[in-house]
Amino acid sequence: MNRLEQLKKSGNKAFVAYIMAGDGGLDRLKDQVQYLQRVGVTAIEIGIPFSDPVADGPTIEAAGNRALKKGVTLQKVLAELQSWTFEVNIPLLVMTYLNPVLSFGVERFATECSKAGVSGVIIPDLPYEHKQLVQPYVDKEGIKLIQLVTLTTTDARLDAILHEAEGFVYAVTVKGITGSRDEMSQDVKAFMQKVREKSPVPVYAGFGISKSSHVDLLRDDVDGFIVGSAIVEAFNAGEIEVLEPLIHAVTASHSV
Amino acid sequence: MTKVKICGLQEQQHVNAASRADAIGFVFAPSRRQVTIAQAAELAKHIPVDTDKIGVFVNASLQEIEDTVAGVPLTMVQLHGDEPDELVKAIRVPVIQAFSIRTKEDVEQLKNSLADYILVDAPGTEYRGGSGNVFDWSLLDGVGIDPSRLIVAGGLTPENVRAAIEQTTPYMVDVSSGVETERRKDTAKILEFIKQVKDDSVEQTIEKTGFFGKYGGQFVPETLMKAVKELEDAYNEVKEDPEFHKEYHHYLSEYVGREQPLTFAKRMTEAYGGPKIYLKREDLNHTGAHKVNNAIGQALLAMRMGKRKIVAETGAGQHGVATATICALFDLDCVIFMGEEDIKRQQLNVFRMKLLGARVESVTKGSATLKDAVNEALRYWVANVEDTHYLIGSALGPHPFPTMVRDFQSVIGEETRRQILEKEGRLPDAILACVGGGSNAIGMFYPFIQDKEVELIGVEAAGQGVDTDKHAATLTKGTEGVLHGALMKLLQDDAGQVQEAHSISAGLDYPGIGPEHAYLADIGRVEYRSITDDEALAAVISMSRLEGIIPALETAHAIAEAEKQAKSMTKEQILIICVSGRGDKDMATYAENLEGLS
Repeated sequence: MNRLEQLKKSGNKAFVAYIMAGDGGLDRLKDQVQYLQRVGVTAIEIGIPFSDPVADGPTIEAAGNRALKKGVTLQKVLAELQSWTFEVNIPLLVMTYLNPVLSFGVERFATECSKAGVSGVIIPDLPYEHKQLVQPYVDKEGIKLIQLVTLTTTDARLDAILHEAEGFVYAVTVKGITGSRDEMSQDVKAFMQKVREKSPVPVYAGFGISKSSHVDLLRDDVDGFIVGSAIVEAFNAGEIEVLEPLIHAVTASHSV
Repeated sequence: MTKVKICGLQEQQHVNAASRADAIGFVFAPSRRQVTIAQAAELAKHIPVDTDKIGVFVNASLQEIEDTVAGVPLTMVQLHGDEPDELVKAIRVPVIQAFSIRTKEDVEQLKNSLADYILVDAPGTEYRGGSGNVFDWSLLDGVGIDPSRLIVAGGLTPENVRAAIEQTTPYMVDVSSGVETERRKDTAKILEFIKQVKDDSVEQTIEKTGFFGKYGGQFVPETLMKAVKELEDAYNEVKEDPEFHKEYHHYLSEYVGREQPLTFAKRMTEAYGGPKIYLKREDLNHTGAHKVNNAIGQALLAMRMGKRKIVAETGAGQHGVATATICALFDLDCVIFMGEEDIKRQQLNVFRMKLLGARVESVTKGSATLKDAVNEALRYWVANVEDTHYLIGSALGPHPFPTMVRDFQSVIGEETRRQILEKEGRLPDAILACVGGGSNAIGMFYPFIQDKEVELIGVEAAGQGVDTDKHAATLTKGTEGVLHGALMKLLQDDAGQVQEAHSISAGLDYPGIGPEHAYLADIGRVEYRSITDDEALAAVISMSRLEGIIPALETAHAIAEAEKQAKSMTKEQILIICVSGRGDKDMATYAENLEGLS
C-alpha cells in the first residue's frame, strides 16, 4: 500500500480496476489480472460474488450471478490467488460482502488473504461502527481495511472515519449503487475536495466512473479512480481494449 | 445503564454464560485465573461482536501487551501494576487503570490517571486489586470522580451489586470471585449477576446498541448509515412522546378498527379436546392482517421526519397492501417491490395495491420472491435516501427496524394480555404465532416475555419438510449470518451464499428471521417449531369449518401446531393463537390445492 502513498506524493493518479472473480470461469482471473497489470493499472480490486449484493447495480450483480453459477466461492478465489506463480507487482484488494467472510471465518479470511498476497479488503456492508468485527484480524496480518465515505456521510462521521482510515479512502461519487452513469453531479466535486482536505491517506473516487469526462471533472480533487461496472462489462463483452484510453487518461503523468 | 464485566474467564461454558455481559476479562498476569494468548483467542471466538474483550496485566512490557492485543484480539487493556504514564499513553486500545482504595487519599490519586477508565477495588494479594473484598464505596462520595470513567470492582456478588450501583453509579461493574463457587466460575452465578445488573429486562440490554444478544446491528452500505441513524434518533424521540402515541392509537382505533377481540374458539376447543383455545383476531384489521399496525406507526414517523415518499417490499402482499393503504390515507408517494413469483401467486393483492395508487415494481432476479424484493427495495432506498423512508414490514433489517416494528406490533400482545386477564383472570399457559420474518409473533410475544409461566411457541414453515431443500425453517435449520442489515439466523450454504427459502405461503418464504427471535431462541425463552405445507393446508380446512374463520396460509401454520400442542395440555389450561391475517388473499392457492381434500 505504500505504493499508493508514493503515487500520491508524485502527483500521479491511481487507477483501481474492479473485476468480478470467476465471471466467465475462475481460470480467466489470472489472465485478467495479468492484462490489467500490463496496461498499467495501479491496483486491482477482486470482487467475490455474493447472492445478495445490495450495494451493487445490475452489471456487477449479473457478473456475480454468472460467477456463482460456476461455483465460485471466497475460498476458491483465495486458493486461486495463492496458486499464482507469476509476479504480481501491484496491490491486490479483495471486495466482498460480510456474510461470506463470517461464514469462512474472519480470522481465517485474514490469514488466507495474507497468504494470497492481498494488501487490502473492502467490505461494503461493514460500516465504521462494526469494523471491530474484522479490523483486529486484518491488522494482525498487515492488511488494510478500506473505509468508504459517501455523499450522505455526515461531517462528524466523516471525521471519525478518516481519523482511522488506512490504505486509501473509497469515496463514493453517487447516492446509489454501483453502475455506469452519464452525468456526474457537481456537488461530487465539492465533496471530494472536502474529503481530500481531511484525509490522511489517498482519496479514490468510485461508483459510476466510466468516462473520461468523469475523470476530467474530478482529476484535481482526488488521488485516483476506481472503475468497476465498465470493466466488468468490457471483460464480459470480450472487448476490454476499449477501456485502455480511460486507463491511460488517468494514469498518464500530467504536467501542471 | 451500568455495564457488566465478567473477569477471569477460562472456560467456554462460562464465556457462553456471560454472553449478555458487556465485557469479558482475561487475566494474563500470574494468577490462578491466568490464560495464555492462544487460550484467550480460542475463548474470544465465542464472544459476541459487541462485547469488549479486556486483557488484565500486571507490570507487563508494551511489547507483551501489544502482542496480546493483536493475538486475541483484545479491545481494551486493564493495568493492575505500577505502570508508568508513558506506557498508558502508548497503548493503542482504551486503557483501564486499577487502583486499590483504603482511604480518601487513595481516591485522590485516581484523578491523576491518564487512562480512559479507572477501576477501583479493595487492596488485594493475588494481584493488585483482586482481593475479592468489598471496600467502602462511600469513599468515592464527593471526590469528583467522573462516573463515566468509573469501574467498580471488589467483592461484588449477585446479592450486593445493585447496592454498589446505586451508591456509586459507575460506568461498569467488574466481578470475578463473586461469581465463583469453590474457586471456580459458576454458570448460574454469572447469569444471576448479569440479571441483577440488567434487571432481567431484555429491552434494557439491547436498545442502546441495537443488538439482541449477539444478533442485530446495522450492517448496511455507508450511503444508508445517515438514514439509519436519523431513523434511530427520530424513533428514540417519538418513543417518549405521548402526542405520537396518541396519534398512533387514534388511527389504530378509528381507522384500523382496534381493539380486536380475543375470541373464545368453542368448537376448536371441543375438537382438540385439550385446553381452552382463544384466537387473537388480527384478521379483523382493516386490510386483513396485522401488517397495518406497523405501517401506520412507520408512516407517521416518516412524516415527522419530513419524508413523504415510501418504499416497501412485500411477499404475500399483505404488507404491500397495508403500506399502499396508509400511503393513500396520508397522501404519500408509494413504491412497492414484489417478486415476480409472488406477483403471480398474489394477483388480488397486486391489484389492491395498484387501486390504492401504489407503483408495484416486479422483481425478476434471484428466486423472484421476498428476499429479492428486499434487495431491490434496499437499492432503491440507497438511491433515494434523502426524501424516502423504507417501510420495512417485518421485525428485520438494520437497527432500529427490528425494535421499532416489534414496538408497533406489541399492541397485539398488550391487548391480548389485558383481555385474557379480564376473561379468565389469569395469564395463558401457551401462546402460538407463525414466524416468517417474525413481526406478528414478536408483537404477540413481547408483552409476555417476562411472564416465565407462559410458554411461547413460534411456528415456521417447513415447506415440503425440513429434511428437504424446500423449506423456510430458519431457526430449525439456519446458521448465523448477515443479511439485509442484521446479524441473524439464515439459510445459507457453506460459502455464505444465502439460499432460497420455500413455503406454499408467500409470506413465510424468507431465508432469515428477525434478530430478536434468534436471540429468544438462543436463550430458550421461545420455542420454535415447524409445520409443512400440507399440514398448514389441512389446518385451513379445519379452522374454516370449526370456527367459520378462513385463515391466511401463514396463520394456518400456527393453527396446525396448536392442534399438536393441545394434545399435551389439560382442559384447565389456556392456549392463545395469533390469527395474523385472513385467507382472502390465498383463495387462488386454496382453490388449486384443496379441491381434492374437501
